[in-house]
Amino acid sequence: MSVSTAPETVREVSTSELISPDIPWELIVWNDPVNLMSYVSYVFQSYFGYSEAKAAKLMLQVHTEGKSAVAHGAKEKMEAHAVAMHGFGLWATVQKGGNRG
Amino acid sequence: MAKAFSAGRRGITGYLEPAERDLLRKLFADIITMLEPETPAHEDPLAALIGLDMDVQVPVDPALLRLLPDAVKEDDDAALEFRQLTERSLRETKIGALRAASMALDSEKLVLDPEAAKLWAMALNDIRLVLAERLEIRDEEDAERVHEVQDWGDAEDVDSYLSLVYNFVSWLQESLVQAMLATLQRAK
Repeated sequence: MSVSTAPETVREVSTSELISPDIPWELIVWNDPVNLMSYVSYVFQSYFGYSEAKAAKLMLQVHTEGKSAVAHGAKEKMEAHAVAMHGFGLWATVQKGGNRG
Repeated sequence: MAKAFSAGRRGITGYLEPAERDLLRKLFADIITMLEPETPAHEDPLAALIGLDMDVQVPVDPALLRLLPDAVKEDDDAALEFRQLTERSLRETKIGALRAASMALDSEKLVLDPEAAKLWAMALNDIRLVLAERLEIRDEEDAERVHEVQDWGDAEDVDSYLSLVYNFVSWLQESLVQAMLATLQRAK
């Protein structure tokens, strides 16, 4: 039984997440002075399938406000998006949602 | 002198001088070298299969850190755990794009389908991220300072040379992405 003592805390964390599957997570894309505005727009359109208008709006938000929450949903999905954004060279982080209500 | 990329029925076409191809080949190769993992794939077959790499640490080189950034802010443990699960495959994705872009330089005519164009844009972007880190581009003002270096006659030190290379690659990526956006619009 002593073997199971250590993983117990880990299990508790995942249980609390399992019973609250509705906790929204979000993907934040951060501004930087390198990525081209056109490229960021292209990534938002081609990867997320956003319209030209929505992609432009999010891109401008990143540019002027320094960051934008560009996707919301399950944690795993946001993590997959973050890896994809890093593949494109955009800096993205995953966080628990809530700030935007 | 290179010509801007243009979107046509056969795909996106571009033209680069031999010297420009050589320069890009070298830049692609430099970034591939940066991204190649220092340690071989994990010996544990299961760990290798799922890409788990417990030896992964946060890169010390700021340019490499820009290519492989943290995915979690203000939680180093969570960021490192995420890195252990994803960094190796991210490196492989980037190396794959850089290799594909480099190979495309070998053909006489540069004709890119949407997937090849995407890999090209990713590869050019990674070059720019690394050069920007070397040139210490931290804000829009720094970017403007680098952008002002436009005359190859001004290439008198490493920084001005890198600035000129950065501006060339930026111009190339911008023209490529404009052609890609035009292709996206046409597909709708």
